[in-house]
Amino acid sequence: MVDQTTEPHDAVVVGSGAGGAMAAYVLTKAGASVLMLEAGRDYSPDEAPMLNLSRDAPLRGTGTPDKPFGFYDAIVDGGWEVPDEPYSKAEGSDFMWFRSRMLGGRTNHWGRNSFRMGPYDFKPYTRDGLGVDWPISYDDISPWYDRTERVVGVYGANLGLENHPDSGPGVLQPPPAMRVWELFLKAGGDALGVPVVPARRAILTRKIDEREACYWASPCGRGCAIGAAFQTTTSLIPWARATGKLTVQTGAMVYEVMLDASGKASGVRYIDKATGAHREARGRVVILAASTGETARILLNSQPNGRSEGLANSSGQLGRNLMDTVGSNISAHFPALEGRPVYNEDGAMGLHAYIPFWLYREQAAGRLDFPRGYHVEIGGGFREPGLGGYGDLDGYGSDLRRSVRGRYGAQIGLTQRGEMIPNEKSFCAIDPDLKDRYGIPVLKFSFGWSEHELKQVAHFQSAMRDLVDRLGGTILGDVPTPDKAISVGGEIIHEVGTARMGAKASVSVVDSFNRTWDVDNLYLTDGSVFASKAHKNPTLTIMALAMRSADHIADRLRMGEL
Amino acid sequence: MKHTLIRRVPIVDRRTTLRWLFAGLAAGQLVACGELGGEFSWSPPEALSGKGYGTDPDLLDPTTPWPLTLTREELKTVGALVDLILPAEGDWPSASEAGVPLFIDEWVSAPYPSQQEQRGLILPGLAWLDVEARNGGEPSFAEASPEVQRSILDRVAFKDRTPPELETAGRFFSRMRALTIGAYYTTAEGWKEIGYQGNRPASGPYEGPSAEAMSHLRSAVEAMGLTLVSG
Repeated sequence: MVDQTTEPHDAVVVGSGAGGAMAAYVLTKAGASVLMLEAGRDYSPDEAPMLNLSRDAPLRGTGTPDKPFGFYDAIVDGGWEVPDEPYSKAEGSDFMWFRSRMLGGRTNHWGRNSFRMGPYDFKPYTRDGLGVDWPISYDDISPWYDRTERVVGVYGANLGLENHPDSGPGVLQPPPAMRVWELFLKAGGDALGVPVVPARRAILTRKIDEREACYWASPCGRGCAIGAAFQTTTSLIPWARATGKLTVQTGAMVYEVMLDASGKASGVRYIDKATGAHREARGRVVILAASTGETARILLNSQPNGRSEGLANSSGQLGRNLMDTVGSNISAHFPALEGRPVYNEDGAMGLHAYIPFWLYREQAAGRLDFPRGYHVEIGGGFREPGLGGYGDLDGYGSDLRRSVRGRYGAQIGLTQRGEMIPNEKSFCAIDPDLKDRYGIPVLKFSFGWSEHELKQVAHFQSAMRDLVDRLGGTILGDVPTPDKAISVGGEIIHEVGTARMGAKASVSVVDSFNRTWDVDNLYLTDGSVFASKAHKNPTLTIMALAMRSADHIADRLRMGEL
Repeated sequence: MKHTLIRRVPIVDRRTTLRWLFAGLAAGQLVACGELGGEFSWSPPEALSGKGYGTDPDLLDPTTPWPLTLTREELKTVGALVDLILPAEGDWPSASEAGVPLFIDEWVSAPYPSQQEQRGLILPGLAWLDVEARNGGEPSFAEASPEVQRSILDRVAFKDRTPPELETAGRFFSRMRALTIGAYYTTAEGWKEIGYQGNRPASGPYEGPSAEAMSHLRSAVEAMGLTLVSG
């Protein structure tokens, strides 16, 4: 069945996104040899259509099932549907699983929002009795947040906010100036005690190493050929390659972890997509960073000695505790912004400012009817005109022209990003019947929100209504009830938790260094290890945890433990 | 690049249209039957299938692989309609001068579920415009007098005034209006009219709001009894 075996490496890393590339970077810098396996094709950021015009793209660049975030989005062979790689959903469940099949994975197009988890976020059970605590505290991880932010390059400000930790001195890059509509929202927020503060994003505002500072144009999702917006294909992967210690194999669809006679991981098996050949890759340590879903799938499909529960699953937690971010939206029109003087508001394209969760004290005092928090991402400005958002207009002719001009730059979108608490309804397992084109059994998802998330949506809607009212705005369209307004699981693409970290082997899949309890030299460095899903976007934390884990692996390799 | 490719595609002829008409009739559906004296049927034509641009298209050299499918008559109707939605004004071209009809054709011919669903509303909608024009004594919507054209649109272009029996026609018009605006303001002329000044790389820190923009904001905020604090 296996027709080729590669030379053994110190480490085999599965995946080239945030977690895999960080592990490979740290290990190669420490002198270890690394084989990186990526299921997708090779990719160079030189392919990024940075300043190309939407009007030259099919359908003016509008998203389609082939390219859900638009024609020019960087994602290759990806989306919530991937050709030849189906997944299934349990009856009564809805879940959308986003994947990409390219070197660098989803880091090539992510929003770059980089918010640190705080002290409450690592000990949520202690705070409200729901879910579980992480085995590490914020203080344990904080040095690795600093190091990750230095390596990645993050703009933002230290504001001393509750549960939104400051970075170390000199770590952050200066944030870009707020734009008119952001300052406008801030004026309203200030009056209501709702903070509108500089956002944190993995975008350089000053040149470091070979990467340029942001040049204030081009949507970051297209990929950033100048290296300003962080993605592993302009940074961690080329840096790891420069050590001479990294080998990258693309088109390698990993489906199984191999064990030796002593029960240690000896490597992985994969299908070379170009030839269909089954191959083996061997290493002293195996690191899975294939993504929250794919890592769980590989482990569940690895059934040494016929163990049907999969590998590293003595706790029974593998595949369980699946979480995504709570999402909902409100858009509003503000007459006070109509006809304001135009200027170039592209800036860093995404967030310069946002609303961090601001009600921890009220929550601690029992004055909120939901646990945990959410933040609000805000969008608006004199953006590149697109095809969407004209459904509320009336009439035709000259009056219509005037309406279109008048509302340009006068609308603001408010987007909720909230914490989900793990629940019994939400997990993934192997579908007993369905296989992908490579013959690999696929994942079947079950997913459901609880009343905690719905109450949080209701709070967001009410708080935003107050803010819009204070600024004299009108909400566009009807605001659906929370159960209709809330996103579909997986839609926000922050899925985490399928192999959670814990203090005890009986209730978790990995220990505090991302090492599986059951296999001493098998590590997971992606979102699968999250014990809880703070409202903060997960990529920065995936990288900080991966860096910490890789430091630990490098120490063990040095000491001959692996 | 893309436009060269599109122009090479032959426009679907009248025979094809008739084939669709008969296919519809054979299936027991009345297509564009206003002239037969019955209730107008909004039955959608059969959705087009075919290949899209795929999941890994060349982003630096975009092409639109699907053939255009609107008939000459339909394109004329589209042209008349989009020019009523956005007529030429001062320095600004009309929607058809800005190439909007070609975009509508590209849109309804795209083999994706959303576009095909809209095709199912837009094609009957174009036929409905002709039926209404003939009811007004004109040969077609495109050839109708501006008064007749306006009297048709006036019944469907305003949400509060659209009668219940014209709800579908209202949705058709609303969709065409949104597509027309989207297509128009994504052109170079549209950018210029609306004032979009981005997509221009610059070095150094982001400049931020102009002095004029800040002073406008300050007045607006203070008029609401709020205080402006710079970010």
